[in-house]
Amino acid sequence: MATRKKSLLKVIILGDSSVGKTSLMNQYVNKRFSNQYKATIGADFCTKEVVVNDRVVTMQIWDTAGQERFQSLGVAFYRGADCCVLVYDVTAPNSFKNLDSWRDEFLIQASPRDPEHFPFVVLGNKVDLDNRQVSTRRAQQWCQSKNDIPYYETSAKEGINVEMAFQTIAKNALEQETEAELINDFPDQIRLNSENNRPGNADNCQC
Amino acid sequence: METEQTPTPNTATSDTNSTCEYLDAEGDSEHETGDLYQEADADAEQQHHQGHNIISEAVSGQTNKDLTTSVESLALSTSTSAKTEDSVSTNAVEEDLDDYQHDSVWRGQKKHIFILSEAGKPIYSLHGNEDKLAALFGVIQVLVSIVQRDQDGIISIHAGGIKFAFMHRNSLILVAASRTNMSIQQLQLQLSDVYYQILSLLTHSHLSKTFERRKNFDLRRSLAGSERLIFNLLANDSSNARVSSNIFTFLTNSIRVFPLPTAVRSNIISAIQSNCSKVKDLVFAVLIADNKLIALVRMKKYSIHPSDLRLIFNLIECTESFKNSPHWLPICLPKFNMNGFWHAHISYLTNDCPACLLLISVDKNASDIMQSVKMRITEKLERSQCLQAINEELQEPHNAKLYQQMLSMPELRHFLYKPKATAQLLFPMLRHPYKTLSEFERLEAIYCSLLHRIHNQSRPLKLIYELRDREVILAWVTATYELYAVFESIVDKATVIKYVDKLIKWIEKEYDVYFIRNHATF
Repeated sequence: MATRKKSLLKVIILGDSSVGKTSLMNQYVNKRFSNQYKATIGADFCTKEVVVNDRVVTMQIWDTAGQERFQSLGVAFYRGADCCVLVYDVTAPNSFKNLDSWRDEFLIQASPRDPEHFPFVVLGNKVDLDNRQVSTRRAQQWCQSKNDIPYYETSAKEGINVEMAFQTIAKNALEQETEAELINDFPDQIRLNSENNRPGNADNCQC
Repeated sequence: METEQTPTPNTATSDTNSTCEYLDAEGDSEHETGDLYQEADADAEQQHHQGHNIISEAVSGQTNKDLTTSVESLALSTSTSAKTEDSVSTNAVEEDLDDYQHDSVWRGQKKHIFILSEAGKPIYSLHGNEDKLAALFGVIQVLVSIVQRDQDGIISIHAGGIKFAFMHRNSLILVAASRTNMSIQQLQLQLSDVYYQILSLLTHSHLSKTFERRKNFDLRRSLAGSERLIFNLLANDSSNARVSSNIFTFLTNSIRVFPLPTAVRSNIISAIQSNCSKVKDLVFAVLIADNKLIALVRMKKYSIHPSDLRLIFNLIECTESFKNSPHWLPICLPKFNMNGFWHAHISYLTNDCPACLLLISVDKNASDIMQSVKMRITEKLERSQCLQAINEELQEPHNAKLYQQMLSMPELRHFLYKPKATAQLLFPMLRHPYKTLSEFERLEAIYCSLLHRIHNQSRPLKLIYELRDREVILAWVTATYELYAVFESIVDKATVIKYVDKLIKWIEKEYDVYFIRNHATF
């Protein structure tokens, strides 16, 4: 009877500042890259339509600020996310170490229903650069230890793996969505003389 | 409407489209010139802003620096894709993304309404595909959250001639952006109408439970198929390019009564009473024709709130399928009980008489009983010639007696009359010049402004008499009624007084034809 609406997924991108969150989003949505660095203040939003398993899905991508001074909005950003993308820079070991705290922070603030199975994706960005510091093996191990988070090595600059990573993001988020179907509790029956019925309705007719 | 803008120095002035480009700390000047009450009213307006308009305050204050920064970033953020200078934009992806931001039709709409979840997920947009507006919905969510973080709530933004009204209730965020003549309070009344419409479909408890369990829930799935109800509530003013009297009942939070000779109405009521009184769990019987109330009969101790009644009218008005067959529907009347469902038997009396009867029960298995009650009521109404009387009135393009009265007062163009004791409204048919959209829009603006000033919370007024370029307008509140009237501009004061006097006397004499004093019980 009702027309099946398209799905909308809220995707949050997290990670240290200057690991390339905004660049990844721009590469994915607009197929562009800029070498100039501009810090994101607060948040940035983009939308993109993708097709996953024959379904059209709109991704509402929330690109957050990595810099601490812009991070006072945690709960508001993370609330109701369908997927969380953790980004680090393969040439910056600290950004990799911080993945732990980004993940914990997200799980605390967003408090998803099933934290163990919440869909994360990890992206090791900037693989086009020569001075790589974090090995693939190390990153994969960490991902495995966190309930097998899918891991991709990307380059926002060259557009390497970006499309595929976001496709996985959409797919995993969508699986979560379909798992929990509509909530089917039968709503309350009105009981006459119950206290729920607003006082003041008695006798004096208001219309 | 034109308003003067004074952007504060520290707000962002982005070169691209954004909903938050300018945040104006000054009050808007929404009132026409030549207005006796303007000064006082502007004062009140300003007080109001100082009291409630958080954004304005915050922006001018030193302490809230990060709000300013955030707002600045938001101003930039909806336009990300357009702002990357060093690349060649060629592909269709971008066009798609910026669909509405660069769409002059979308941007030129007089009124937008957005509904979203606390997670920032789109639920409804009056214009445009809400999926494509997902970025804008994100911005709205953040704006609301920033203010909320400081244990505060955003009420309105005045910017670039547009009023933004916000409402945050039970996991839903509702926003109106308007270039119409409605005040912030009137816009908020629209938002709360929509909110109650959603509650009427889902109930408050269901809505809360849904979002408690899944904050990322896409509420469009629960509302699919019911968008028309929301649209019909919101499309009641001229911003949707239609001339509809629904705006008057909306602005006064009232309903219209179907004019009937008193004897006929009492016959109808007794027909309903005699057939409903012994029916267990039947609480209300409501008979409606032409979007007007014929009769409401209720179980003792229970009554329907006017805004619940308006939701019922809305449901009947935009559900054509009731005409084909009786329906048995769960319905929540949120002002009565926002957590529970009634069960309503909804049907038109006969094929020949387009009056719609609702029998509202607490028993979800009472459909068959209600159907037989309906049959008995219809039979009785048919026998007592009541159906015929209803049809006769329906066949007239407008109520004959009221029309006569209007003819006898040629300079009286239009009026709204609302008794204080009931939430019922009487007004005549639209006539020249208000039959065209642009003129109707002016009439609507007049009533918006009169009602806003009469019901101003900080400085309510009792009497407004104003000479405008194209009409003379009057608002008068007494102990027993509210009257708003619009006259030809050439009319003199003596004539206005004479007409008002005449109109009031006539209404008092015919009161029971046009109003229902007390709803009968069974």
